Amino acid sequence: MSESSCYILDNGAYTAKVGLSTKLPKVVPNCIMKAKSERRRPFVGSQIDECRDASGLFYILPFQKGFLINWDTQKTVWDYMFSKECCPVNFNETPLIVTEPLFNFASIQEAMTEIFFEEYECQTLLRINATDLAEYYHRKTHNNECTVVVDSGYSYTYIVPYIKGKKYREGIRRIDVGGKVLTNHLKEILSYRQLNVMDETYVINQVKEDSCFVSQNFMQDIEIAKKKGSANTIVKDYILPDYTTIRRGYLRDVVKSDEDLEQQTLRLNNERFSIPELLFHPSDVGIPQMGIPEAVMHSINACPEENMESLLENIVLYGGNTLFPGFRDRVYNDVRSFALDHFDVNVYLPDDPLTYAWEGGKHIFRDPDFYSFCMTKEEYEEEGKALAFERFDI
Amino acid sequence: MSARESGRVKEAEKRRVLDDAARKRRARKAIEALEQDNFHEDPHADLVMSKKVPKFADSNEKPTRKKKSKSAEYYKMRFRKTFAQLVEEDASFRPDPPNYLSAQVPPSQFPDRYFCAVCGFPSNYTCIPCGARYCSVRCLGTHLDTRCLKWTA
Ligand SMILES: [Zn+2]
Ligand SMILES: [Zn+2]
Repeated sequence: MSESSCYILDNGAYTAKVGLSTKLPKVVPNCIMKAKSERRRPFVGSQIDECRDASGLFYILPFQKGFLINWDTQKTVWDYMFSKECCPVNFNETPLIVTEPLFNFASIQEAMTEIFFEEYECQTLLRINATDLAEYYHRKTHNNECTVVVDSGYSYTYIVPYIKGKKYREGIRRIDVGGKVLTNHLKEILSYRQLNVMDETYVINQVKEDSCFVSQNFMQDIEIAKKKGSANTIVKDYILPDYTTIRRGYLRDVVKSDEDLEQQTLRLNNERFSIPELLFHPSDVGIPQMGIPEAVMHSINACPEENMESLLENIVLYGGNTLFPGFRDRVYNDVRSFALDHFDVNVYLPDDPLTYAWEGGKHIFRDPDFYSFCMTKEEYEEEGKALAFERFDI
Repeated sequence: MSARESGRVKEAEKRRVLDDAARKRRARKAIEALEQDNFHEDPHADLVMSKKVPKFADSNEKPTRKKKSKSAEYYKMRFRKTFAQLVEEDASFRPDPPNYLSAQVPPSQFPDRYFCAVCGFPSNYTCIPCGARYCSVRCLGTHLDTRCLKWTA
């Protein structure tokens, strides 16, 4: 038994990366959204692209604090994803690889097994952590011994060391800062300083994506942002979407006082780099935790000493936050400064950090032992959910 | 309110100082707010029929599927556990570290940095009544006029 393609669902808390291994993945919002302007229907997944006015969007998310909690929402979004409207699939014929969070709770793991075998009638199922797929991809393309995977997503940032292809659980570290905290904090400070945007999560998330960068020298950038006039190379204006002529906002040079501008704007100065800085200094907003580079060292130091060299040489980043300009360089420079001089440090940022784990799914599907990692419907029917706990290392 | 009265209120407020418990409560609320999905009400909350309207899930019959799909509502009832319940359960599923709780990173070895609650630039001063940080007389003024003790937490 071996199929020519499998279906890969990297089921993130904000976006799912989904599709057949023979095609390109789709990045689908893993949520239902409701618009003020469109009262006849909610928007499921990518249907939001059909929404003409995305102001004041209301989110209904399957995930809470990084775990799948709201199953009715998830079921609705999955039904959409698996349908002709998005990425159709027949699980009778096509194996499924689906990702789950690290340390996923037992009840959620059981529910995953049940819903895919019973509701979606999967024939062959592989439940796996997204970081496992990322590590597999990196190892197959670099032939390295050990890897540190940094997954900086919506709910959390996870740092996961792997030794010879195996997760080293004692070294796993979680920082409770992800894209959601960044967007919410940006919303809060803009609402206090300039304009009430508390209801505009969707728009402010775009402001964040379009405007923010990771500083390479925080105190120096603070000094630049304090300057007036053209000496301040950081301050910019963001033109907000009005959903008549502008569908997505954009960053531009500061609007001159004699300029006649009809659009609503936000002035962004120290916000541009103070927001991503929370990933490096969570304590800046009162979260008493290490930042990413320090946590990477903390994770590596929890691993056997003989693996330190290989771990430092193979730090792989992925997830939405790694898209901020400067993210990789900052992680590299900080880890470099923490590590002993005689070690090499390599930090990899893949070409597409959003779909890196999904691409890893394509590679694992080609593994000669792929089917031994999976569970079949027959096995489920004979041995039940207990077998899934043995087989899948979640 | 007359000018004299408001002056008196201001005097009274000046003497008020938030105690430690209230400050911690405020800090905790600020962190909780960073976890929130929405800050406004469901814009369709008043649509009574919205639940009855056949949702996508029900109206979309997949030709390849033999059996009738169960509704989203069924799975809501079938797997209904809150985050708090799940964390509690985990204490018996994975009683010993490493587990979800143990994976959380400890505090940083580096000293905390402080930023002005008004403008976001580094701050050297602490507001006496509430403990918020500020950087200048100007920002302190804005803070006293807008937040400080005006927030109840
Ligand atoms: Zn200030
Ligand atoms: Zn105050």
